[in-house]
Amino acid sequence: MLIITRRPGERIVLGDDIVLTVMEISGQTARIGIAAPRELPVYREEIWEAVKAENQAAASVDPDALPPVPPPVAGD
Amino acid sequence: MSTTIDSTRFGRIEVAPDSAIVFPHGLVGLDSRTFTLIARAQDDAFVWLHSLEDPALALPLADPRRFFSTFALEPAPTEGAAIYVTVRASERIEEFTANLRAPLVIADGVGQQVINEAPGAELRAPLFAELAAAAAEQAA
Repeated sequence: MLIITRRPGERIVLGDDIVLTVMEISGQTARIGIAAPRELPVYREEIWEAVKAENQAAASVDPDALPPVPPPVAGD
Repeated sequence: MSTTIDSTRFGRIEVAPDSAIVFPHGLVGLDSRTFTLIARAQDDAFVWLHSLEDPALALPLADPRRFFSTFALEPAPTEGAAIYVTVRASERIEEFTANLRAPLVIADGVGQQVINEAPGAELRAPLFAELAAAAAEQAA
């Protein structure tokens, strides 16, 4: 892993269109600003892991496991 | 020319070329980019997002507004986009959940799994809680 030391206000540029800015460091917390193309997904790692687990759980569903659902109420 | 998938779940399926949905960034943790939506019956509460690349990859999706009256998505999607949530099954109906935290937004044949910043957008929201409450109210 590449390890770079940065101070608040300093940036890291990835490729041509991604810029990370160290906004603020306070105790154990670093605030990072991310400028990236809108279509590029950016996740906090723990959310990425959680979404991955949900996607994989959904991908293992047996069609017969889905119960019938009453039709939506008219005008709803 | 339509393509066919030999789905491990649904058997042979004909897919019209214009019904392909491309997820340029895929879905987190799944190894496929091109899908199609399959409804098993008209008005079915669930549709299946089926991979066109992997005959064994399919996820049940639901329209979140059919199950969650207060569902909101932030940032708001583009107008006209279809919004779905993935469904996690269980042996007990009370334990079925939907992922409101990471809905799928599909527009013009392009899909994206987004992170929903709306308050209360749970990763595992009980899917049938509102329907059960409504049924209990009706019975009372």
